[in-house]
Amino acid sequence: MDPTVNTPTAGLQRGHSARSSFGLVRGPQNLVAGATLVLLAALALWLTRDLEQGTLGAMGPALLPRWLAYAVGLCGLALVIPAFRKDGDALERWSLRGPVFVIGGILAFAITIRPFVFGGLTTPGLGLLFAGPLAIIIGGFATPEARLRDLVILALSLTPFCMVLFGDLLNLPIPVFPQALTGLFPADWSQKAVLRATAIIMAAAALIVFLSSRRRRRTVQVDVTDHSGRI
Amino acid sequence: MGDLISNLSLGFGVALSLQNLGLAFLGCLVGTLIGVLPGVGPIATIAMLLPITFGLDPTGALIMLAGIYYGAQYGGSTTAILVNIPGEATSVVTALDGHQMARQGRAGVALGIAAIGSFFAGTVATLVIAALGAPLTGLALVFGPAEYFSLMLMGLVFAVVLARGSILRAVAMILVGVLLSTVGTDLETGEERMTFGLPFLADGIDFAVLAMGIFGVAEIMRNLDHTEHRDVVHKAIGRLLPNKDDFKQSYKPVLRGTLIGATLGILPGNGAVLGPFAAYTVEKKLAKDPSRFGRGAIEGVAGPESANNAGAQTSFIPLLTLGIPPNAVMALMVGAMTIHGIIPGPQVMTKNPSLFWGMIASMWIGNLLLLIINLPLVGLWVRLLKVPYRLMFPAILMFCCIGIYSINSLPTDVMFIGFFGIVGYALIKFGFEPAPMLLGFVLGKLMEENLRRALLISRGDMMTFLDHPISAGLLAVALVILGLALLPTIRKGRDEVFVE
Repeated sequence: MDPTVNTPTAGLQRGHSARSSFGLVRGPQNLVAGATLVLLAALALWLTRDLEQGTLGAMGPALLPRWLAYAVGLCGLALVIPAFRKDGDALERWSLRGPVFVIGGILAFAITIRPFVFGGLTTPGLGLLFAGPLAIIIGGFATPEARLRDLVILALSLTPFCMVLFGDLLNLPIPVFPQALTGLFPADWSQKAVLRATAIIMAAAALIVFLSSRRRRRTVQVDVTDHSGRI
Repeated sequence: MGDLISNLSLGFGVALSLQNLGLAFLGCLVGTLIGVLPGVGPIATIAMLLPITFGLDPTGALIMLAGIYYGAQYGGSTTAILVNIPGEATSVVTALDGHQMARQGRAGVALGIAAIGSFFAGTVATLVIAALGAPLTGLALVFGPAEYFSLMLMGLVFAVVLARGSILRAVAMILVGVLLSTVGTDLETGEERMTFGLPFLADGIDFAVLAMGIFGVAEIMRNLDHTEHRDVVHKAIGRLLPNKDDFKQSYKPVLRGTLIGATLGILPGNGAVLGPFAAYTVEKKLAKDPSRFGRGAIEGVAGPESANNAGAQTSFIPLLTLGIPPNAVMALMVGAMTIHGIIPGPQVMTKNPSLFWGMIASMWIGNLLLLIINLPLVGLWVRLLKVPYRLMFPAILMFCCIGIYSINSLPTDVMFIGFFGIVGYALIKFGFEPAPMLLGFVLGKLMEENLRRALLISRGDMMTFLDHPISAGLLAVALVILGLALLPTIRKGRDEVFVE
């Protein structure tokens, strides 16, 4: 068995051996970066294949994009070729958790803020009331340090703040709550009144969660000191 | 001179109205807030707040947005000095000596000299804008499409030279940016280019969406990869006002920093970011004992802090006089102006004198307000730094979503900030700097338009760019600078500047 596996440097060494095991590739970051540029250039050339290039005196729609694509492709090649000849930076480690949850939060917001037609499916338009907390709570889990309780408090306090600020004070054209919600309130209430009432309820809920969980936490702390006191 | 005074008094009349004063204060306050908080920059914030300005009159809207931009320069220094993390990209060098001063118990003096230097720089920059506004507007009237194209090309060359890291990568990023700007319907022929047949791409990629994806969302993902340690200085901040010796040591750096920052800020190509680096290098070169730098030299705070504020303000000059946005923040200003039907360029001063001079006057008032916001309230900003990032980024995320949705009421825009977030994150991981790409995108449309027009007039003769003397001169400058940057010795020096 390899004795270095359990030492802290094992990962680093494995990285090194991985690099040499690619054989020819000596600058993986340059290779990937250059290849991306070449692919992008190829995509642009393919997309503009049917467009007129025109002449310099009367430029067609494809002239500039096509020449730019050639230039981008050349830059890409200029990065790819040295990747086999000179030692370069290794690729940085990608974390999956961050991007996945951040994008998840954004997508959740996008499809719930108003009805969104997706193929044959239509999502219900829930407005800021639900889209905001969804974005905060799903997005919030992008870090391993996330705590559900804190995120819930944040969502319950920030959402009513935004509802009042953007929907009430600034009158931005953003859906705030689903129409079904008005049914829960007296029929003669205006949209704004419903908005304010909902905001107050949410803020109160945030306060309740905050206070109740704080008390619990304090007792936990007391426990801890008790323990250490006894031991 | 008499004109200048009457123009400025018109400006102060506009800027001192109760509403505009309030908006300037609000802008400066938000600017300081995002400046203090690492991980939120002025680009993402202004993109988020664009929809708010729909309901304001254009003067008030621009006053507020401008306040956010230069306010962030003040706020960034607070974090740099107290926490050793640059709150903004422009306060990176402030952290070097500013944080050391804080460790020696001189945090207050560092904050004080940063604010006073910034205020002085802001005052000078306001005067520079007021004085250069009229002559440069006159210059714009003799500019034809060939000159415009060459000027923007020069701006892009500057951006390449000023970008960090490999020049090849910066060139590639600029080209990609210009390429992205050609997506959408071609204005001359009406044909769709590279839209994949998607209707929401027919108008091209929205700049606010691109900027927020790359500077808002990708920034979050990048920050999540680095667990940062915020060791807020626990020592007392101490007295804020520098004493006689401090002033004696720092008045020359402030003057030099202002000059350097104001000059670099005017150049298209995001010179404002280079200003502080250049000022720091100059101070170190001029100092009798360069080894003091990095160990709490007050000159290392005074010079760069003056430079970044001066640069932030003078970068309005190309926008207001020539209609060319020199950086991403100014491109968002273009967005804010066009929403209100104002086309940036030389005609702003003649058609909307109250907007032009009101905005300039508001900058000086804003600087005064910032002095008040920053110095006595520094304790409040420090407390803000204790909000952990795990709670801050979900809030930023939601504000991004709300802001971008409100601009066009399109859920697809929200999805696209996610897409560009991933793109930006990948670019960072591949070692590309996203800022030049954004500048290429900003200037791309204008460049294509002017290139076409110039070549149409000359019937396809490329020599037109050399036949016009101004255009030829600008291209020559671009060529010389690019040549210099490629010289091995200068290249080494350039790397050193960025390493520091």
